[in-house]
Amino acid sequence: MLSRNFRLQKVGDINWLEKNYGFSNVGFSIDELIVLDVSRNERNRDEFSEVLKTLTNDCFAPIAAGGGINSVADAIKLLRSGADKIVVNSSLHSNGKLISELAQEFGRQCIIASVDCKQIEGKFYIATNNGSNVTDLTLTKFLEQCSDLAIGEICINSIDRDGTGNGFQIELLDCLPELFEIPVIISGGVGNYSHLAEGLKDARVDAVATANLLNFMGDGLASARSQLVNLGIDLPIFDLH
Amino acid sequence: MSKKQVVVVDYGMGNLWSVASAIRFLGAEALITSNTKEISSAKLLILPGVGSFRRAMQVIKQNSIDLAILQSLSQPETKLLGICLGMQLLGSASSEDGDTQGLGLVPNAVRKFTNTADTRLKIPHVGFSEVKHDSNIKLFSGIPSESCFYFVHSYFMELTPTIKGVATCHHGTEFVAAFEQGQVSGTQFHPEKSQSMGLNLLKNFLES
Repeated sequence: MLSRNFRLQKVGDINWLEKNYGFSNVGFSIDELIVLDVSRNERNRDEFSEVLKTLTNDCFAPIAAGGGINSVADAIKLLRSGADKIVVNSSLHSNGKLISELAQEFGRQCIIASVDCKQIEGKFYIATNNGSNVTDLTLTKFLEQCSDLAIGEICINSIDRDGTGNGFQIELLDCLPELFEIPVIISGGVGNYSHLAEGLKDARVDAVATANLLNFMGDGLASARSQLVNLGIDLPIFDLH
Repeated sequence: MSKKQVVVVDYGMGNLWSVASAIRFLGAEALITSNTKEISSAKLLILPGVGSFRRAMQVIKQNSIDLAILQSLSQPETKLLGICLGMQLLGSASSEDGDTQGLGLVPNAVRKFTNTADTRLKIPHVGFSEVKHDSNIKLFSGIPSESCFYFVHSYFMELTPTIKGVATCHHGTEFVAAFEQGQVSGTQFHPEKSQSMGLNLLKNFLES
């Protein structure tokens, strides 16, 4: 399992994760959990499904999973291993038919479109295949076409900020059209709770995502959440009994 | 004492695995089945579901699951809980993909959220939202009003003055977040995905 902090860093296998995170406890600090298989080489889907099952056991929060989804069968495998929603990224651009097939099978609310964006000369371009392939499609253009895609949410991630801890690239949101109907998640760059607050206070944002606070900051998530509540941000409070 | 058994209706739609795992976590037994005999003799019945109303009703009718549910409710001690689409199916009809008749166990209709320049609604309505209830709904026993539950839906059940025992939520408009009508109850939100509050609600259902 990989996490990103300036450079890719291995934080441990599933047993390590269970021991150090205990997702059933972390669950009370988050609204939702996103689990991605970011393997660079051939993906082992059975292994990832097993990991997902172990992670999500006794975690009663919504769970989205993805990474290299190329077929309805790939999606079914994750949905039967504890996922409630499927995250699609590269397939959005290479296999548009798959998105409508997934929506027909599971409903559009089941699909989170995730886009990795890279800033080049002031414009944001979409990258695919774990960010390795920067396309000539701009984020602005993609978001304009989004209303035709059968998706339930969109997660906009900044490659330039991901793992830096310097805060969200808020300018990404300037690419959103007026009256954008699909819920927006912003991702990439969170280093502390004030970054989460900046995202949540922006009217264009429906949710904020972080891996950094989960991976490297001890009780980072729990304390970030209580700080946000203290700032008056409207978050559900999950008690522990 | 033997474990309570909950029959989770499997009609090929929705995440049955997480509903079953929440029930098992609460110490009851979960039987996932599409078998009409098992459904019709259930004492505790959950109708889950995610996806298209029309398609769900087609599958339910083709497999006579509607009749099996009605038969189970003819035993006065049987309790039914519909979750998400499962709750909507208990209503009269939905405007999803053209009008489709529901099971009609409550008279309320289901329709889509509408977005206007004024409301600037996000569709689907997704995430944890506050649910308001007056304290006489047994499902919410011990759960304060305005607790948050997890929603993900584009269609909602309309409020009507005729059904009582209703909990409400707001997304551009007030809608039915949950109801309890004698043996029949439903939640638009996912209790199995709503952390401790959701588990409390399911526990109330198991003990009803």
